[in-house]
Amino acid sequence: MELQLGLALPTPNMLKGFDLNNHGLDQLKEMGGLEAWNKAAGCFADKDCVKSKRSFEQAFGNFTEECRTKPLLLWSGQPNEEEDHKDQKKATFSTTDENDAEEDDQVVGWPPIKTWRKKIFQQQQQPRVGRAENNRVAENENGRSIYVKVKMEGVAITRKIDIKVYHSYQSLTNSLITMFTKDKECNEDDYILTYQDKEGDWLIAGDIPWQNFVRSVQRMEIVRNWG
Amino acid sequence: MHKKMAFSFPDEVLEHVFSFIQSDKDRNAVSMVCKSWYEIERWCRRKVFVGNCYAVSPRMVIRRFPEFRSIELKGKPHFADFNLVPDGWGGYVFPWIAEMAGAYPWLEEIRLKRMVVTDESLELIAKSFKNFKVLVLSSCEGFSTDGLAAIAASCKNLKELDLRDCEVDDLSAHWLSHFPETYTSLVSLNISCLGSDEASFSALERLVRRCTNLKTLRLNRAVPLDKIANILRHAPQLVEFGTGTYTADVRPDVYSDLAGVFSSCKELKSLSGFWDVIPDYLPAIYPVCSKLTSLNLSYATIQSPDLIKLVSHCPNLQRLLVLDYIEDSGLEVLASSCKDLQELRVFPSDPFGAEPNVSLTEQGLVAVSLGCPKLQSVLYFCRRMSNEALVTIARSRPNFTRFRLCIIEPKTADYLTLEPLDVGFGAIVQYCKDLRRLSLSGLLTDRVFEYIGTYAKKLEMLSVAFAGDSDLGLHHVLSGCESLRKLEIRDCPFGDKALLANAAKLETMRSLWMSSCAVSFAACKLLGQKMPRLNVEVIDERGPPDSRPENCPVDKLYIYRSIAGPRFDMPPFVWTMDEDSGLRLS
Repeated sequence: MELQLGLALPTPNMLKGFDLNNHGLDQLKEMGGLEAWNKAAGCFADKDCVKSKRSFEQAFGNFTEECRTKPLLLWSGQPNEEEDHKDQKKATFSTTDENDAEEDDQVVGWPPIKTWRKKIFQQQQQPRVGRAENNRVAENENGRSIYVKVKMEGVAITRKIDIKVYHSYQSLTNSLITMFTKDKECNEDDYILTYQDKEGDWLIAGDIPWQNFVRSVQRMEIVRNWG
Repeated sequence: MHKKMAFSFPDEVLEHVFSFIQSDKDRNAVSMVCKSWYEIERWCRRKVFVGNCYAVSPRMVIRRFPEFRSIELKGKPHFADFNLVPDGWGGYVFPWIAEMAGAYPWLEEIRLKRMVVTDESLELIAKSFKNFKVLVLSSCEGFSTDGLAAIAASCKNLKELDLRDCEVDDLSAHWLSHFPETYTSLVSLNISCLGSDEASFSALERLVRRCTNLKTLRLNRAVPLDKIANILRHAPQLVEFGTGTYTADVRPDVYSDLAGVFSSCKELKSLSGFWDVIPDYLPAIYPVCSKLTSLNLSYATIQSPDLIKLVSHCPNLQRLLVLDYIEDSGLEVLASSCKDLQELRVFPSDPFGAEPNVSLTEQGLVAVSLGCPKLQSVLYFCRRMSNEALVTIARSRPNFTRFRLCIIEPKTADYLTLEPLDVGFGAIVQYCKDLRRLSLSGLLTDRVFEYIGTYAKKLEMLSVAFAGDSDLGLHHVLSGCESLRKLEIRDCPFGDKALLANAAKLETMRSLWMSSCAVSFAACKLLGQKMPRLNVEVIDERGPPDSRPENCPVDKLYIYRSIAGPRFDMPPFVWTMDEDSGLRLS
């Protein structure tokens, strides 16, 4: 009878026989080879396993046999030899080091915060002077601030903003309005926000999805709406 | 003459009895009593749960359970949440939808977690299941609002559409208008993960207005504060509500609108959302606070005094998610005000900063453990811990079932004694006898694993990072934790020995994940060869593992039991070790 859903087979009760305090590792040390290990496993299975599994056998045939999978390596109970340990450690951490070098000392996936939550959190950070340098950069492109020049028609001084702080066109335009209405009295409907993309073309902001916009904007200009 | 009483019941009676048995575990147990119970049970099982979509094939499920109405599937391993599973690893739902579309036109509910869902899959769902009612996608990706539009347009009986933490390609907010004007059956809508800018407010408002049975509504960040009042006005019956952005210029009319509309929501028990919160608007929710049992402020970047004020208004709180801005002082207030608290999650506001930016330490967790007698589930990010604190926590709160502690800097020692935190976590597993889930952090030696193997007999899921000294640690866990189902390990010096010595254990678990550890390719091959009922997947983006010496450690290893055999949808950086791999690759 084939194995089907729902069969969470308890390991044959050889685990129960494993009292960490008494047998466990001492017993393992005493065992000579793989045969001795099998014998012990067999013992446990004979005493505890078969009785309680009778009903399973009746229903499902012979898989109790298969259950008693033999461990593949003699466990000597000794911690790794010091040399092995060091080598393995080197091997382990060399990969981490590579990642580190690429991503500014950042360990991938640590601390364990869901990617989605991290994105929201980064979008909320207020730009503070010097903070971009102090912050360790997170994975991929989500961490670094992206500063973009913003010019307004009729205003002499150009501003610079961190586009990463905003999550939508709405929040961007709100902030720009606040920023520029200090310099110049104006009605927001008279103006259009335009931007220059990676190809050098000037486009009206708002046509493409926000994330695409963030990736392609080079600079922005607020121009008067003559239309 | 002995009539066997058990067999004198007709099938219909047994079926009726079984209908009261809902939990999967119990159903599985029932099915194993005898052949006839197995048969009866499989015909009347209505809800199927598949914890690992690769453990079994869709056809096997359909063959065994011919009449299920609801399916729950989980795909990627948990560490995929933290970017440890490369894109393209797998977890595609389409093959399941395709098989079920043919076999089950009456399927009503699909719940998916960490799976790749395409627009094609959503369109197939919309087309195939005429009585489709519930779609819950949790941490899924691969689809866009076009797929959602298909669901909205075709599923006339849809009751629940819940997108939690999904990555959705937000092409257009107009998908909401695809719900026909005649559609009124919505009970639960969670679109909090959608980002689109020009949310179709009018379509949303109209939808809310005509769906008078709506109980759960979680909006996304694009919905501005002044629109919330309009929406809530039409849904005073809501039990769970997630705001959009909670910021606006402070205007008395917006405030009074908001306060008024919250006062009329007499059934509200759960609040979430609160992106970009401005504290001035918080008191608007005070009218509902006394009835609140669940509050998610984990996106609210407000400081401790405002958080304290809010929390003090919520004496019936059972579940709180919050940022570490709450600080120790805030948690002390929580401990004295919220005696019904069962679950607490404290997230870091500045996880990548080198220095602590808030005054949140182990003291906060101690205060809550001492003060909240019903506390059983905790997820806590902090920057320092002591054995003393952990022992106090364990002794005062032995009813923990889930304990997840993340000390932000890996391998941080006890800040008082500079010792490892073995004793502290040892106390947790010793005193909390019903502990089902544990996440470790800080400086830990093999000792902590000995404690875990000895005491954590009910532990089902263990997460380990940057811990242990040798294979002994892993051996303690695999040989001692009888109830272990999921084990995930990263950056620990665990190698071949413990894994191979406990190979049989792996068949009793759902899965094992090991990344940046010391398991060699040779060991993986051996395991794959000898254990046909395990899928041993080596995930390595550096290139084929056989291009390196056999004793080289593999980058990532994912082992899970399966009766479906090796899968065939693997990307180029995943290799399954099977019986032939030993011959082919050596």
